[in-house]
Amino acid sequence: MKNKALIGTLVALGVLVAGSLVYNNMNSSQSVAQKDVVKVGILQFVTHEALDQIEQGIEDGLADAGFDGDNIVLTLLNSEADQSKIQTMSKKLVNDGNDILIGIATPAAQGLASATSDIPVVMGAISDPVGAKLVKNLEEPEANVTGTSNQVPTGQTVDLITSITPDAKTIGILYASSEDNSVSQVESFTQYAEEAGLTVVPYAVPSTNEITTTMAVMTTKVDAIWVPQDNTIASAFTTVLSAANQAKIPVYSTVDTMVKQGSLAAINQSQYDLGVETAKIAVKLLNGKEVKDVPVSVIDTGTPTLNLKAAKELGITIPDSVLKEAEIAVEVD
Amino acid sequence: MIISSISQGLLWGVLGLGIYLTFRILNFPDMTTEGSFPLGGAVAVTLMNAGIHPLLATIVGALAGCVAGLVTGLLYTKGKIPTLLAGILVMTSCNSIMLMVMGRANLGLLDSRTLQDLLPFAKDSNLLILGLIAVVLVIAGLIYFLYTKLGQAYIATGDNRDMAKSFGINTDRMEVMGLVISNGLIALSGALVSQQDGYADVSKGIGVIVIGLASIIIGEVLYSTGLTLLERLIAIVVGSIFYQFLITAVIALGFNTNYLKLFSALVLAICLMVPVLKNKFFKGVTLSR
Repeated sequence: MKNKALIGTLVALGVLVAGSLVYNNMNSSQSVAQKDVVKVGILQFVTHEALDQIEQGIEDGLADAGFDGDNIVLTLLNSEADQSKIQTMSKKLVNDGNDILIGIATPAAQGLASATSDIPVVMGAISDPVGAKLVKNLEEPEANVTGTSNQVPTGQTVDLITSITPDAKTIGILYASSEDNSVSQVESFTQYAEEAGLTVVPYAVPSTNEITTTMAVMTTKVDAIWVPQDNTIASAFTTVLSAANQAKIPVYSTVDTMVKQGSLAAINQSQYDLGVETAKIAVKLLNGKEVKDVPVSVIDTGTPTLNLKAAKELGITIPDSVLKEAEIAVEVD
Repeated sequence: MIISSISQGLLWGVLGLGIYLTFRILNFPDMTTEGSFPLGGAVAVTLMNAGIHPLLATIVGALAGCVAGLVTGLLYTKGKIPTLLAGILVMTSCNSIMLMVMGRANLGLLDSRTLQDLLPFAKDSNLLILGLIAVVLVIAGLIYFLYTKLGQAYIATGDNRDMAKSFGINTDRMEVMGLVISNGLIALSGALVSQQDGYADVSKGIGVIVIGLASIIIGEVLYSTGLTLLERLIAIVVGSIFYQFLITAVIALGFNTNYLKLFSALVLAICLMVPVLKNKFFKGVTLSR
């Protein structure tokens, strides 16, 4: 080794490590004093309409509980789906001395959970916290992780399908194989649908590029289509709709935005409300409750949402029993 | 914060070393990286969830990367598919392999013991020491290998394929070997990073090639003149640490993190342009020794 610049850098890095180790040791003995200002760190996985609404809901929920203005410092980081940055951002939020950390979407919550084992981590709307290995016990979270879990109301969706289109016996499901959340939704939907006497045919696509071909095959084989909460399919939903409309097959979905785009109906869970619910959990922890006393709040119901224009085009009459409870996203023009 | 950036730099440095073997020595743009990196993590995390010892799981993860490299190499040498395309094909297929291995798109490590948990110190120091051990072992292994007869034949293949052939070196075999070792290291890095992050994900590979190239390029720009092979390899790891510093700095300074990708691209572009800028503005002036 003769290159002096390189040796110099290595020595400097060594000193830096030694220095920060000593510094950390000196600081770790200090206890955290009672604070008037709470610090909350939020890590959002990617900019996406649903996640943005959850985030907004969290902020408003915290404000409703009196955490707004001067008594709260909110740090919001967004990893923009770059998984290599999640760890760096989680570490930053931990090192900033936040009292509580909130992770929106599974990878963000996992990153936070691995970055700290003492600061409470609140999951913001994670559909399968047990499968993602975030918590083992939903009732009594054993580590430092709790929060909200939104289960897509698959049972309610099956009921909706059987009451609007009682003749549809074969239901096709379109989802992306790369999305962890979709798989559990498909399993749960299949279970409910088979109990109701329907046949379910799942079609997984690796990316948006295969959707057109898959739809062409699918529309010849099924009576109705259900699309789970799936970001990949959501971004190509117009492709799905145009193929289905051509074949006059109703498309059921999971969120109101999809119904507005032209899907027939959905059981909609408001993402904003999920955010508010997440904030309630965070507030409980901020007020001094232990993580193990705050069970994961599972939300698995929603409101039926209809597109009457699509129903008219498909020649479907919505029964009054459904109309009574439902929200109308698009009226007949 | 500093320690975590350095240990991240060390873990990602293994990736840079892996890419260096093909990108710089063979002049080979190997896209397999974006598949073998998450594959290593997926295999390791799945095995650890099944209760396998983390060390064994990590090694098997690295071997999975070797297989990915082997396939790319065979497609290129035996199937005569251009390198870039062969790599992309394998990278794409890795996505399905990972889904098959994990059975889902994302798998966490809630209370499986990870490699860094085997060390006795605090969480932060453990990661740092694990990174150091990994980097030292990999560099020592590479130096040993590259100075053997086989290693020299490998370097000769990269320097001048035709001449190496005329010396009786089986260049096809050298290229396949390079891809196998390189992707093994990349998958090792993937396995280590996944254990640090606490989960494996099928889309973890997106953009990693940029991080690896950044390490190599920053290392080259910082120490431009006549480095020995050992120094060159160390410079890559230092480059990787510097890259992590830059990213941490951007986040810590409170820039809008939505523009992080733009920022990493800018850093890379500037580093790549340094030689040109130097010639233009600092003729006769030496920036670094």
